[in-house]
Amino acid sequence: MNIINRRSFLTQTSTLGMGAALASLVDIPLVMKRALAEGTIGQPGPNGRVKKLFFIFLRGANDGLNTVVPLGDTAYNATNRKSILIESDPGNPFTAKGRALFPESGPTKATFDYNYGLSLGNGFAGLHPALKFLSPIYNAGDLAVIHRVGYPRQSRSHFDSQNYWENGAPNNNQTHDGLLYRAMIESGLANKLPLTAVSIGSSLPLILRGSKAAMTNLNDPTRYNLLAVPNTAAGNAKADAALAAANAARFADKRDRELLTLQYQNLSSTLDIFAHLDFSEAGNTFVDDVSTDGDQPYYLFPTTNDKNGGYSRAKDAAKYVVPTSAYGHFQNLKSAAMVLNKTSALVAGVSIDGWDTHSKQGGATGSQANLLRRVGWSMYALQKYFKKYADQCRWEDLVVVTLSEFGRTSIENSDGGTDHAEASAMLVAGGGIKGFQADVLGGVKRTGVFNCGGDADPIPWQVGPTGAMFQAQSRYLKRNTDYRSVLGKLIRDHLGATPSQLERIIPGYANPKESLATRGIQTADKTEVIGEPDLI
Amino acid sequence: MNTFPNLHLVRLGALLLACGFASIRGFAAPLVSSVQVEPLSGKATLSFEPSPAAMEYRVLRTPRLGLPFQTDTSGVLDQFTWTGGLPAADSGFFEVEAIDIPRDSLTGTTLLQRVAYGPSPDDLERVRLIGPDAYISEQLAPETILESIDASAPAPVWRKVTASGTGSSPKLYIYLDGAGETYLDDLRLIEGSAEDASKPNLIVNGTFETALGTNWIVSTNLIGSALSPDQVHQGALALHVVSSAAGSSETTSIHQNLPATVVATKTYTLSFWYLAQPAQSARLTVRLSGSGITSTTSLAAGADSPQPLFAKLAEGSATMSELRRWHLLHAVQSKRQLTEVLRQFWENHFVTQYSKTRDYFDNLGYDTVTAGIIATQAEFRENQKWNDAMLRPNCTFLDLLRISAESPAMIIYLDTVGSKGNGGNIANENYARELCELFCFGVDNGYDQQDIVQISRIWTGWSMDLVASNNVANPFATRSTNYLDPSVVTNKTAVTNVLGTWSFVYKSGNHNTGIKKVFFNHDTNGAATTPKLVPDRFGAPWAKRDYSFSVAAATGTNTIQEAYKLIDHMANQPFTQEYLSVKLCRLFVHEGFQIGYDFTDADTSPEEELVHACMLAWENPSNGGPKGQIREVLKVIFNSELFRSHQASQQKVRTPLEFVVGTIRALRAARPDGSYTANTDGDLAFALSRMGLMLLFDRAEPNGYPETADAWISAGTLAERLRFVQAALMPASMTGKGDGGATTSIDPAALLQLKAPSAVRDSALAVDYFLDLLFPAEGRANLGAYRAMAIHWLDTADDGTTASPFSALVPGSTDYDTRLRGMVAALMTTQRFQEQ
Repeated sequence: MNIINRRSFLTQTSTLGMGAALASLVDIPLVMKRALAEGTIGQPGPNGRVKKLFFIFLRGANDGLNTVVPLGDTAYNATNRKSILIESDPGNPFTAKGRALFPESGPTKATFDYNYGLSLGNGFAGLHPALKFLSPIYNAGDLAVIHRVGYPRQSRSHFDSQNYWENGAPNNNQTHDGLLYRAMIESGLANKLPLTAVSIGSSLPLILRGSKAAMTNLNDPTRYNLLAVPNTAAGNAKADAALAAANAARFADKRDRELLTLQYQNLSSTLDIFAHLDFSEAGNTFVDDVSTDGDQPYYLFPTTNDKNGGYSRAKDAAKYVVPTSAYGHFQNLKSAAMVLNKTSALVAGVSIDGWDTHSKQGGATGSQANLLRRVGWSMYALQKYFKKYADQCRWEDLVVVTLSEFGRTSIENSDGGTDHAEASAMLVAGGGIKGFQADVLGGVKRTGVFNCGGDADPIPWQVGPTGAMFQAQSRYLKRNTDYRSVLGKLIRDHLGATPSQLERIIPGYANPKESLATRGIQTADKTEVIGEPDLI
Repeated sequence: MNTFPNLHLVRLGALLLACGFASIRGFAAPLVSSVQVEPLSGKATLSFEPSPAAMEYRVLRTPRLGLPFQTDTSGVLDQFTWTGGLPAADSGFFEVEAIDIPRDSLTGTTLLQRVAYGPSPDDLERVRLIGPDAYISEQLAPETILESIDASAPAPVWRKVTASGTGSSPKLYIYLDGAGETYLDDLRLIEGSAEDASKPNLIVNGTFETALGTNWIVSTNLIGSALSPDQVHQGALALHVVSSAAGSSETTSIHQNLPATVVATKTYTLSFWYLAQPAQSARLTVRLSGSGITSTTSLAAGADSPQPLFAKLAEGSATMSELRRWHLLHAVQSKRQLTEVLRQFWENHFVTQYSKTRDYFDNLGYDTVTAGIIATQAEFRENQKWNDAMLRPNCTFLDLLRISAESPAMIIYLDTVGSKGNGGNIANENYARELCELFCFGVDNGYDQQDIVQISRIWTGWSMDLVASNNVANPFATRSTNYLDPSVVTNKTAVTNVLGTWSFVYKSGNHNTGIKKVFFNHDTNGAATTPKLVPDRFGAPWAKRDYSFSVAAATGTNTIQEAYKLIDHMANQPFTQEYLSVKLCRLFVHEGFQIGYDFTDADTSPEEELVHACMLAWENPSNGGPKGQIREVLKVIFNSELFRSHQASQQKVRTPLEFVVGTIRALRAARPDGSYTANTDGDLAFALSRMGLMLLFDRAEPNGYPETADAWISAGTLAERLRFVQAALMPASMTGKGDGGATTSIDPAALLQLKAPSAVRDSALAVDYFLDLLFPAEGRANLGAYRAMAIHWLDTADDGTTASPFSALVPGSTDYDTRLRGMVAALMTTQRFQEQ
């Protein structure tokens, strides 16, 4: 098998071409040349600011049925979900129409004192109580909850399914670059700006990987500088110069050498940017602009006990807004938010692991609830941070989206857990999101709930033992929305891709057999989907 | 694509250059990328692309094509550009050749990069001497390699310390920072910045050969100290230092008022030998009053020995941190390098998660520390079983799979521990899915969701319990009734009061007793119809085989056999053969191997052919033994052209584990006294964590840690790799040392003195020695830029610009040592050192 790399491409060309052709041959990918003049990704709008995207990847497959809960479905019951059921509150029935319920705890009650599904006011759906801090975002009209999201011929392998969500090509493992990487390439900025897309975590996720430009990943921005022997200012300068000289060396092509070259360059070109931002604990001074949860203004990024909800006053663990095990995540979230706010970066993201709840998933409390608390507070914190501390990015310039590879079985297993299944739920927030809107009488003019009951459900949620929860392979929640439609809508209408760019970012986007843009049947498995949800 | 035949002389490129007008035409392997001709001046410049592993490039020329090409000696070759004159008349024809490093040397390096955790100076020499085939034979028979690192208790060892500084005072102190003892000998203080045996010793009776008398004054906390013949470095006596409490100055030390004049304006060098011993934890300080010269040294020896760790692991009292240290020390030190690489491979293939196991036991009522120790034990036990299995010549994949399936770590990790299929219970699918997807067949390779459900039922009852030590291999054992505190036997559910070992136990009451039909086709109602057949793409001997598996309805303890029979059945299916062959090829050769080749069509590749050859060796082993022998498959890989050629050499990037261990090994040579030029106590897990969260024995996701470069390499993880290398090369006291492991000690000056004494004061020779050591497969002709950078480093001061010839630095001086350390660190922070 031949590996076509840069050198063999050059040599093959030289066997065909003349000397003049050789001299002008430069290694610029065609796709980048083409992108320079197209679309507005990364270009300032009339207000002088660019649109940005923040993603939170829930790795391990989040149980969508216990995230956006179909309280109105009779099959969502204690028989099917014996130990993990989220009950509906007789005192605050889900049938009520209006705003999402936000049970504020005030200064004395436990933060997560309310243990029922939080009515979303569309007459059918509720939020898991661990997501209570989504309610204020929802009620501000800045949150869309989208249920029944998946893709054709759903893989139930974590790794394949995460690959498909990230490479934007379901059932295709031959696509080795990520869809947000491709969006950055299309921006034409990927090799011009040192930072275009950034993730904070242990490794660069596939969604940002690609071979022609380096996206940036940091695990710990507080340690992002180099050392030298001797470890003095002079020694460090000497080591930097030596590294630069070594980086300029030419070598024969091998499999990973382009990757190493790009990432070494990225390291060199971003060290200084990060050195000018204060990622220290002392720099974590961001607080809410109101009395949070009816108590006092809380820190937005809980990274210590004293910055975790209302704990600082009475040293009461019941006043935490997130579990203490979440501090690492909020360090990452804070860093990613700061980078998006303070630098040229267009995309930032983090991952939350641990959603593979095969056993002891828990209901209103327990392992999934502990993870959902991270998600709810993360989105709340991002909203407040980009409103109160906005610099290069304001809340109206931003969209925050959650991703998760698939949902979980509608029926609980013998371990109090759920196994791999199909459709799950996505959360999308941002100042420009078309979420809930009240009418003049306080009723619902527009709901922020997509695909989970209510009036705005294009393919209605069928209830009961043969309903939506069991319509995929007679066992699982059936999708009615493709994740690519959600991401495609955001990449085009928010980030600013043209339709032809979108076709390159998400291959097949315009193919009628995929029904990604408009409602139709996806021919791969003959499933009807709504096309793009009207999000933005 | 260029192919590199088994020749040292590789034709790299050829260029036709006609004088007076330029025209270019490529030949067979045209790597010449550009040519410029200035007809008026008669000057030609020829550029070419680097060729892998080139020791030397040569430009050849001939005036006419009918005549033979001759090596050009008139032009100037600078890395990948040749500049020279054109013939005065007629036309000229040029050709570029690369002289490759010897093939065995290339293969030998690949072996040490993949079959071992990177080359060490000694291993490089050895493999060059014995050749790659002998090394492969040896590593494929690890039971024949004598290995005693777990058995040999660390011995006391004499170590030398030197320190330079100013003469702040003529008072010398010797003390410990706590209770402890050591022996001290040959204590010298001389004038000058480096040790020099010819200079007079300013200390009286520094050899401790005569009575302490009045020259040495002993304080009360050191009153047990005396001259002793028991341990000496030289001569008949040494000073036995015995400390009952920490010292700090004149009244708490053994001190001497030097009769010689010592002045603060001059530089002096202190040196001495001391005995490091395993049981000692105090630190020895020898210093001048004031802060002119201070040396503080740990008295502990044997921190780099796995033996004490192994002893704790074997008795079941070790923590995870100790298991990780032991694992890393083995990777660094073991002579059975292939077995070490494979131990990690199987650990990672049959992945389990320490913290999930620990939390499980924590929830059973154990305290966190005990829960951690039990969880560590579970990890160590399965790991040792794989190790023992691999020491048997005919070890099969099934042997290894069975160890994994029976391991409490796995039973907890993938949730079979509580899975029930009796009555209306729905079995947990976690293990069933990963058994197919990750342990045997590979994703979507010969199974579907119906098979997962059927297998999940087979696995119900596969649990564990706390059994008596004579029952660990009995899956029907009941809970041990040996109580820690017999007075509280009434509370029999309190497992924390029971003595025993958590072991695999089969709970038939939880088992699904129905019929199971695995690997069948299904009708639209989900009912099993016909058996599944091996797809045609596998070809002979596999295609169209019925690989279905059925279980009749049954109850009772005998239903344990269902799972055993199923893994017997799955272990040697072509899907398993394919998936594991691909994984092993990716581990040892490169990442470009796929699942799903059509082995029957005409479209093939060396990668596909190698996978096929591995599968055939699995199916029909040449020794006639059982199917699935790991060594039979490895032999095929190690003997393949792909493995032995440029196709494998330096085509992978090191994982964090490989990078950290490889860094230490690269500079670790044995000295004549049995000590090493690079040492670690193995406490490096923090570095692996920072380089991308590679938590050994504690992977959260069941797919194990990746082997691919793009999963590990990003700006943030590279920063951590570079910090690690720099810190590892720092001397003990330098700020930032902790990043490389506080006790990691690497001595490049000692290495150079040991292996290339003629290079000790020559910057070019010293650089060449380290280039060969650190980049043995790259070819020196490709390392010109690295070489220039490194020589520049050695010959400039810390500012990188002021000339300061390396040859003027005194070996043994701090300046010399720092300069050399800095250069070696700089070479190891380069892109090429990331590769294997």
